[in-house]
Amino acid sequence: MIRFDRVSKRYESGHDALMQVSFDIADEEMVFLTGHSGAGKSTLLKLIALIERPTRGSILVNDRNTAKIGRFRVPYYRREIGIVFQNNRLLMDRTVFDNVALPLVVSGCEHRELGRRVRAALDKVGLLKKERDYPITLSGGEQQRVGIARAVVNKPPLLVADEPTGNLDDTLSTEIMDLLADFNHHGVTVLIATHDLRQVQRLGRRVLELHNGQLDYDGAPAP
Amino acid sequence: MRNYLLRHAQVFFYSLGQLARSPFASLMTIAVIGVALALPSGLYVLIDNVQRVSGGIDSSARISVFLKKSVNDSHAEHWTERVRKIPGVAKAEYIPPKEALAEFKRLSGFGSAIDTLDNPLPGVVLVTPVLADADAEALTALVERLKKSSEVDIVQLDFEWVQRLNALLEITRRAATLLAVVLAASVLLIIGNTIRLAVYNRRDEIEVIKLIGGTGAFIRRPFLYSGALQGLFGALAAWLLIQLSLSVVAGPVADLALLYGSDFRVKGLDFRAAVALLATGALLGWLGSRLAVGRHLSEIEPS
Ligand SMILES: Nc1ncnc2c1ncn2[C@@H]1O[C@H](COP(=O)(O)OP(=O)(O)OP(=O)(O)O)[C@@H](O)[C@H]1O
Ligand SMILES: [Mg+2]
Repeated sequence: MIRFDRVSKRYESGHDALMQVSFDIADEEMVFLTGHSGAGKSTLLKLIALIERPTRGSILVNDRNTAKIGRFRVPYYRREIGIVFQNNRLLMDRTVFDNVALPLVVSGCEHRELGRRVRAALDKVGLLKKERDYPITLSGGEQQRVGIARAVVNKPPLLVADEPTGNLDDTLSTEIMDLLADFNHHGVTVLIATHDLRQVQRLGRRVLELHNGQLDYDGAPAP
Repeated sequence: MRNYLLRHAQVFFYSLGQLARSPFASLMTIAVIGVALALPSGLYVLIDNVQRVSGGIDSSARISVFLKKSVNDSHAEHWTERVRKIPGVAKAEYIPPKEALAEFKRLSGFGSAIDTLDNPLPGVVLVTPVLADADAEALTALVERLKKSSEVDIVQLDFEWVQRLNALLEITRRAATLLAVVLAASVLLIIGNTIRLAVYNRRDEIEVIKLIGGTGAFIRRPFLYSGALQGLFGALAAWLLIQLSLSVVAGPVADLALLYGSDFRVKGLDFRAAVALLATGALLGWLGSRLAVGRHLSEIEPS
């Protein structure tokens, strides 16, 4: 699903955020991306979402060379990737329903189909009853689940999450991680950047560890 | 296709809702645009009305030809006959000095007091030009031709002031066009500025929409509708302003016209002009918004 081939990223400031990073992630795999603060985790996810472009090397996503995706094709490319953010990035002046519906509205989904899909996504994250509420009235964990519902409502084959449990306590973190693992169980490829080694240990999936922009470790979580 | 129209309708009502959510700011913008559009439009209405007044006079333009004292009646009649044959002349009427004096006596009220004098008046030929040729150039050419005649002393175009008025109107019309261009540009700037603020206020939302795969066209759409709507409402305000001003002066103008025995009425914007005004407003709004959005959306990239 994802192939990095000697990818380097140097920001305009001259800082090398990633250096010669290579790895493969198979379809329907679930992988954790770890490393110290500033190691380059967010940068790596931004390269996948085409928020940033690599300075060197090639990135294949879903068998497509991302370098060949032009500016005007980027929106259509992004519709195939569900993105979950640490600070959830919900629109506070719209209801939970409207937030989750946004990716479908953007891609011009038919009205009746839209309602059905939004409710299915909200049902999966257990927030069907809150569809008319505004995000501000929800707890942090609930907000993050709305963000996840928004990321999966399009049924993308790939889900990337940048510190999805960054602001949550242990119980809520477990809940969110189990939710993501459940999507993986249903065939979605999942890549999660996180500091939360407890969750990494608990789920026991493959780990990619970055250190100062270089891939330091690739394998099962260290015991 | 139905889906496409439905989406546009949704964005339309969404944009309308957005305007209604900040009524004060929206009204301010609409009022400013209204004034900017009302100024040149009002000037055009004014020119149109003045032209209709002067047009009525133009059709009765007449040339008075004063003959030399040496020209006697039969010679004058003969000459008048020749004038009638000049192309562009509809009518030519000779008034002998005797008749002219009689009329002067009647009008002045001096009566028999004048009888004691030698008749000081020359013979006059009143020339009425053909209506279709009554434009300034043809009229001047005719006057020049009459002046060349050896029988003629003075030629007076009775309505030279009509020409002056027309020249003045032409200047005003050009000024109005210039004003329209300047104010159209300012409408673009006003709308561009409100849209720029709107884009800035919603940058988080724009970033999120870009991240979940919204195209540039999708993001632009509500701003374009918003700009077009503000332009349209501004034009509507301009229309109201003009009609209101006209209704204020309509009464006095009708009274004044009555004094001159005319049934002249002030004419406002007709249906076609009103539609053109509204369309111009909407178009300017759309364009101003398009220019602003195009510039500012590309500055907002998710990070
Ligand atoms: N837009 C940018 N311009 C310049 N340098 C940047 C930019 N974004 C990130 N960096 C730098 O690149 C390095 C990697 O940043 P990145 O955000 O990928 O780290 P991270 O692993 O996600 O860290 P954290 O765990 O704190 O989120 C950091 O040193 C950071 O300062
Ligand atoms: Mg980060």
